[in-house]
Amino acid sequence: MAKELPGYGTIDVPKDRVVPFGAVTPAPVCVQNMFQTSNWRIVRPVKDDEKCTRCLICYLSCPDACWVYKEEEDVMEWVNNFCKGCQICIQECPSGALTAAPELDFPDGVVRLDKPF
Amino acid sequence: MAKAKMLTGCRASAEGAKAAEVEVICSFPIRPYTAIMMELAKMVANGELNAEFIHGEGEHAQLSVVLGACAAGARAFTGSSGVGVTYAMEIYSPMAGGRYPAQMAIADRTLDPPGDFGSEHTDAMCTRDNGWLLGWACSPQEVYDNTLIAYRVGEDHRVMLPQMVCQDGYFISHIPDKVVLGEQSQVKEFLPPYRPISPLSLTHPVSHGPQIRPDQGAPMDAQRAQTFLAVPKVIEEATADFGRIFGRNYDPFVEQYKLADAEIAFFIMGAHANTARAAVDRLRKQGVKVGMARLRWVRPWPTHQLAAALGHVKAIGVVETSTSYGGAMRGGNLIHELRASLYDLDDRPLVTSFMGGLGGETIWPADFDHMAKVLTQAVKEKKVRNYVQWLGM
Ligand code: SF4
Ligand code: SF4
Repeated sequence: MAKELPGYGTIDVPKDRVVPFGAVTPAPVCVQNMFQTSNWRIVRPVKDDEKCTRCLICYLSCPDACWVYKEEEDVMEWVNNFCKGCQICIQECPSGALTAAPELDFPDGVVRLDKPF
Repeated sequence: MAKAKMLTGCRASAEGAKAAEVEVICSFPIRPYTAIMMELAKMVANGELNAEFIHGEGEHAQLSVVLGACAAGARAFTGSSGVGVTYAMEIYSPMAGGRYPAQMAIADRTLDPPGDFGSEHTDAMCTRDNGWLLGWACSPQEVYDNTLIAYRVGEDHRVMLPQMVCQDGYFISHIPDKVVLGEQSQVKEFLPPYRPISPLSLTHPVSHGPQIRPDQGAPMDAQRAQTFLAVPKVIEEATADFGRIFGRNYDPFVEQYKLADAEIAFFIMGAHANTARAAVDRLRKQGVKVGMARLRWVRPWPTHQLAAALGHVKAIGVVETSTSYGGAMRGGNLIHELRASLYDLDDRPLVTSFMGGLGGETIWPADFDHMAKVLTQAVKEKKVRNYVQWLGM
């Protein structure tokens, strides 16, 4: 075969655009404020401390680690900024201590939005 | 050298996984590949193989389990057939993009509907653009060998990609043939332990599979494409090393059978290549200058190697064994890529495709005689009459 066929060229990703190998990054091990998910929420869990037995099931079941046990005060603390309102904790709570409260609740039950968001 | 045993392709695949000392296996039943998992389950139960054997609740789960196992630093193995392969579709791209070099054994089965147990390459071919290494064996021996070669290539730090090691259902997966298993010392020399690059770790916590921004998507794609430019050299090295250590030599990309002086050729992959070889021998006795090129890897596609192997041939018949309904040539997938590979040659061969071996049908010696006739006619007329013809229809 005399003729040389085209090659595949080279791919040079600019240094400032290189993505980590396999997109694996060092885990932040801290709160990532850039990734707040609270604005996805249409309902949020509201806790009744009388019913809560501190069983920690909400802590275990929340996919976003939004339930924290405060040892000194012996209460479960909810992390507003990252709760996306999936309601898993509400489903899983064995004591009925969690209920879903709508984010946009108006006294007459009608949501009014001037502009779509 | 060790004595040959009569093993099916499924058993050979399981023996390959055992030789590779896989650490995590995830199963879900679907025939014909199920026999691979049955063999492995026995090996684990008998204490011959020290692996975690997990029953997935479906193929999507199987792939997710091996992804996780790989991320944790384990050599992982799974497999499927037919619609099982396509059920796991979501996981293929993330697995390649996240650079998890797990292995999936495929024993081909026709996609539904309706349920057909027969072999056809369409199942694994559907996954070909997701960034996996993808190749077909044509004997139980080659299944065993490819299992080891694929792990070696996939886990190489220049590659780090998952691999699909495919065999035709039944024709290979369930028909016993002579297989020589490697000695432990040979496998040790050939296949180093899996060294993950950034495994999940309690002491060095990392995030796998994060959300990326749109402006990071293109560089990510480019880096994946860049990797594929490096893969062929790694395949060549691994195949050569395999030959040196095990004494079985393969052309890394294309088996070339009596091609040197061939005027017409069959282009094929998988089980039916065995019939094609016999057909070539018989047709040659009748004076037909025919040869065969058998593809070993679909990804990476060996463009230049095919141009070099087939450039001098006058007419090529692509034996498809997979479907591409409505595609450019209205046949299977292989013809598109073969024609594209030959396009830049000054004197390019005529190429047509033969739809055969679909739904598990046998491609008979007489079918190859027919194909040879069509190709000889094309040479005489200096054109192919049709892009595609269906064997026996
Ligand atoms: S699951 Fe319910 S009862 Fe248990 S700690 Fe959470 S809120 Fe309290
Ligand atoms: S609603 Fe969902 S995200 Fe919010 S605290 Fe409960 S489990 Fe977590």
